[in-house]
Amino acid sequence: MVKEIERAGLPVVHICTIVPISLTVGANRIVPAVAIPHPLGDPSRTLEEEKVIRRKLVEKALRALQTEVSDQTVFAE
Amino acid sequence: MKLELHKVKVTGVQWGPVTELRNGVLTVNKAELLAKVSGDERLASLDADLALPGEKTRIVPVKDVVEPRCKLEGKNEVFPGFIGDVESVGMGKTLVLDGAAVVTCGKIVGFQEGIVDMSGPGAQYTPFSQTNNVVLIFTPAEGLERHDYEEAGRLAGFKAAHYLASAVKNSVKADVVETFDFPTLAQAMTAHPGLPKVAYLYMLQTQGLLHDTYVYGVDAKRIIPTLICPTEVMDGAIVSGNCVSACDKNSTYSHLNNPVIRALYERHGKDYNFVGCIITNENVTLADKKRSSSYATKLAKMLGVDGMVITEEGFGNPDTDLIMNCRKAETLGIKTVLVTDEYAGRDGASQSLADACKEADALVTGGNANEMILLPPMDKVIGFPDFANVIAGGFQGSLHEDGAILVELQAITGATSELGYSKISAYTM
Repeated sequence: MVKEIERAGLPVVHICTIVPISLTVGANRIVPAVAIPHPLGDPSRTLEEEKVIRRKLVEKALRALQTEVSDQTVFAE
Repeated sequence: MKLELHKVKVTGVQWGPVTELRNGVLTVNKAELLAKVSGDERLASLDADLALPGEKTRIVPVKDVVEPRCKLEGKNEVFPGFIGDVESVGMGKTLVLDGAAVVTCGKIVGFQEGIVDMSGPGAQYTPFSQTNNVVLIFTPAEGLERHDYEEAGRLAGFKAAHYLASAVKNSVKADVVETFDFPTLAQAMTAHPGLPKVAYLYMLQTQGLLHDTYVYGVDAKRIIPTLICPTEVMDGAIVSGNCVSACDKNSTYSHLNNPVIRALYERHGKDYNFVGCIITNENVTLADKKRSSSYATKLAKMLGVDGMVITEEGFGNPDTDLIMNCRKAETLGIKTVLVTDEYAGRDGASQSLADACKEADALVTGGNANEMILLPPMDKVIGFPDFANVIAGGFQGSLHEDGAILVELQAITGATSELGYSKISAYTM
């Protein structure tokens, strides 16, 4: 899906846990997520803490979207 | 460590007044069996039935299959951490009711449980159409959490398997005794000079959310990769707690009879020197995957092996664990052979694995789990056939009005086993 949307001309950020798979399938902007069952949260934390995690990831993804890339890029920090 | 498997051939199973094994026929006192297995308040109902090879019988949804075993000599009992104490197993003598199996079946836990047909086209795809099956059928207590239900069903299967072997152990004589010895590392390192050293990297499904495997009772997602003696595996040190796709979950039965371990033993000292078995997990965070693959391959390097067989369990993100293990081992100079299965679409034309690397150039497949099969109606269904519409490999409309089931092979228990405990083989055209 990432590749098809990009083919249509829209830049995509792939937020995903297993970065190697995202690299294999050819995503260009990758933001590592928390875990497969809960990519944008963490049930071991409080709801407030989860909100912080989620906001950080979404903001990082938005920054990635605004960043020019020339190759596959993982936005780790 | 030396273990003798005392195998008694079982060619039939029937109900009767006394649990005994005579002339290959296992007679089971049903009331006694149920009394041994029941008592867990988490199960609202518990019943048992029989399913024999060739019968027009379907079992659905199947959770686990367990081979009846118990210790004859040696410390502890089989299935340590569940039936036995947590002390080490894999030594002494173990009784095996070869040809019998306990199949656990109950209202669905997750959505990834399987079908076993005792005859017809589906029977060709599951090894458990050839075993004489004592089937446990249960329903959960109201309001029970699913993970508690899974555990209760899992324990019931081990109890039944242990009961069947224990009940006959004093009155049977083995048809075959197989001896498996495993040397100390010091001996292994100098044995068979000139032969390449080989290890087995045994990947265990540990994604959580009912996708779990237990080692000596420990949830394997919490382990750091470690060494295990192959004889411990034969005594049930590794058991399945898996509600993953039926075709490629490793049932407790297939762990006990792991064909990779058997094959490594068969050619040990002839073609290679089998020096170790490493267990590792398949967790759900990238950090865990990186840590476990590095640690497992580091252990292989410490053993100084030239080659390694790696088996996967499940599919999807565990493909990444498989590929990480492969790439890291090859980078350390260890040649690898991978055993996996494929999800290549119903026409077989899609990418087979979710991940890949150029070092993965020697690979054995258990088959394409997406291939479709029509399972004809059976005279008897043990369990709950309605779940055919919701199990993985099935879809709304899978269950036809006449009782036939149209599904992917994914829904058949053990159909594409990544340990190779299956009936599918292939040849190049």
